[in-house]
Amino acid sequence: MRSGYFKEHYSGLVVLTDSPAVKAWVAALLVVLIAAPFLLGNFALSHLTIILFTVVGVLGLTVLTGFAGLISLGHVGFLMLGAYAYAIGVTRLGLPPELALVMSAVVPAFCGLLVGIPSLRLHGLYLAITTLAFSHIVSAAILAGGNFTGAGRGIMVPRPSILGFDLSSDRAFYWFCLIMCALAVLITLNLRRSSFGRALVALRDNDIAARTMGVNLMRYKLLAFLISAALTGIAGALMGIYMSIVSVEGFPFLLSIEALAIIIVGGLGSVLGAVLGAVFIVSLPEMFSALVQLLGGRLQDVMTSSAHEVKSVLYGLAIIGFLRFDPRGLRGIWHDIRHTWVFWPLRY
Amino acid sequence: MNYFIELVVSGLAVGAIYGLVAMGFAVIYKATGIVNFAQGEMGMLSAYTTWALATTLGTGSVWTVLLAVVIGALLGLICERLIMRPMLGEPVLSVVLVTVGLAVVLRSVVTIIWGASPHKFEVAGADDIVRMGDIGLRVSQLGVLGALLLAVAGFWYFLGHSRFGVAMRAVAADEKTARLMGVSTARVQAVAWASASGLAGLAGALFAVIYGLTPTVFELGLKAFPATVLGGFDSVLGSGVSGLIIGVFENLVGGYLSSTLKDVAGFTLILVVLMVRPFGLFGEKRIERV
Repeated sequence: MRSGYFKEHYSGLVVLTDSPAVKAWVAALLVVLIAAPFLLGNFALSHLTIILFTVVGVLGLTVLTGFAGLISLGHVGFLMLGAYAYAIGVTRLGLPPELALVMSAVVPAFCGLLVGIPSLRLHGLYLAITTLAFSHIVSAAILAGGNFTGAGRGIMVPRPSILGFDLSSDRAFYWFCLIMCALAVLITLNLRRSSFGRALVALRDNDIAARTMGVNLMRYKLLAFLISAALTGIAGALMGIYMSIVSVEGFPFLLSIEALAIIIVGGLGSVLGAVLGAVFIVSLPEMFSALVQLLGGRLQDVMTSSAHEVKSVLYGLAIIGFLRFDPRGLRGIWHDIRHTWVFWPLRY
Repeated sequence: MNYFIELVVSGLAVGAIYGLVAMGFAVIYKATGIVNFAQGEMGMLSAYTTWALATTLGTGSVWTVLLAVVIGALLGLICERLIMRPMLGEPVLSVVLVTVGLAVVLRSVVTIIWGASPHKFEVAGADDIVRMGDIGLRVSQLGVLGALLLAVAGFWYFLGHSRFGVAMRAVAADEKTARLMGVSTARVQAVAWASASGLAGLAGALFAVIYGLTPTVFELGLKAFPATVLGGFDSVLGSGVSGLIIGVFENLVGGYLSSTLKDVAGFTLILVVLMVRPFGLFGEKRIERV
């Protein structure tokens, strides 16, 4: 048992992990995730796929809201842009899927810059409202785009084959999402521990102090928008491929709220929290409907007739409940459990 | 020309509703420093409750309007006591996100209880037409404008000349000093929520009378954001007046350009305004000192 955390070098302070146990558990988790398609049924597999691409999108929001402290209520706008950039690239412009996937990161990133520029002058709530306005403008622009954007009808997206791998089966698509998700997790973890991540956190906690230390406010805020929008755009493309149709109705405003709920429930500003939160929130409606089925009765009718509303109520209550009773979120609970496990029977 | 005047007049009527909601935003922001994202939803829930009560009781027009204000204020008090009071002293980000959660919950609860199909909110005499020159106006549209004028005048008196209004401004200016002077922040917050929600209830019910009762009434909150931003979050009267500007602008865009653009006209306008003046047209400029 270790008696404390002692570092001898500065590099020791920023390594991803120095504990062999953590490495072993992560390896085990990866093996299980890779083997999952052979172990799970169709329903569980598609649920897991949803969780994977949700994690990618939520990590985008984590960079912006969690690291840089810029509240965004319009992330569904970036999601939509990513999905449409991919769909338009494949169907209208005839690009290869690999290039379209790059487009789905580049187009939102560019728009992220456009939204980011006013953010340099706006504080807190004004910024939240600007992003909200942005997502409404994106959906209005798509609806007004005529045949090119599919307007109200949407665009059908076929399952592509990427770098020679055919993604038409659910298993192949799951593995593809797993790779993207693992990449996104690695990218955000490394962002957080590099000087870039520290600069963002410094700006979030006290922008004036950070600027006197030589952090370039404009550059870092814009970069945060850029990276966040790119990650979210990729998630949008994955979501579009999964649903096999991209339409404005497929990206309701509720998704912005869902993403916020995930990072709050998981614990603001942490990658682990984003992953835990995504697993929890995406599974919440399923868990709830299972519970209702156990209880039976009239509640079951409500579940079937207004599933969307029940889902929103659950998200709302999750946000309120966690902020009210445990603002540290699931990550805090996880830390408590780990602490108790390591030090038991001592308290600390 | 006639078309133009008609657009302006109906824009003023809908703008007055935005103005009422926007004043609610500003009242809460001024007293507590947060934005209540559930404002539109409070209006929607009050409108539905008022409709349910008014149709069973068969109240007249004046009583229906008063009922809407009272129900809205009660709803605000309940939300404040149960959800916002325990969050006093938490970081602004958390408190604002709680109101976002509240908004989602209220919105869905209304749809679960009353269903998604539209209802007609019948009030005796509301649809009568008053002719002024060439332009016909419904009584309800005139009533909305009257309500906004009354609300602006009432708040001007309340904030500037009543003891409690001064206390509210004191809390907004410097919470710590205000508490040392014996002002109860909790009570200020309760009154702010009650009055903002009362305004939202009034706006929601009037909107439902004119345009019908559907689960999209909450979009009133989204439409009123541009008005509050334009007026500056800390300017109650400015928000009320900006509502009229947004309403007219939106109607003109819808009338002359396209109806898709109409929905985002307000948002586009504030994007431009915020680029030039990041604190709104009438907002107080924040000076940062180190």
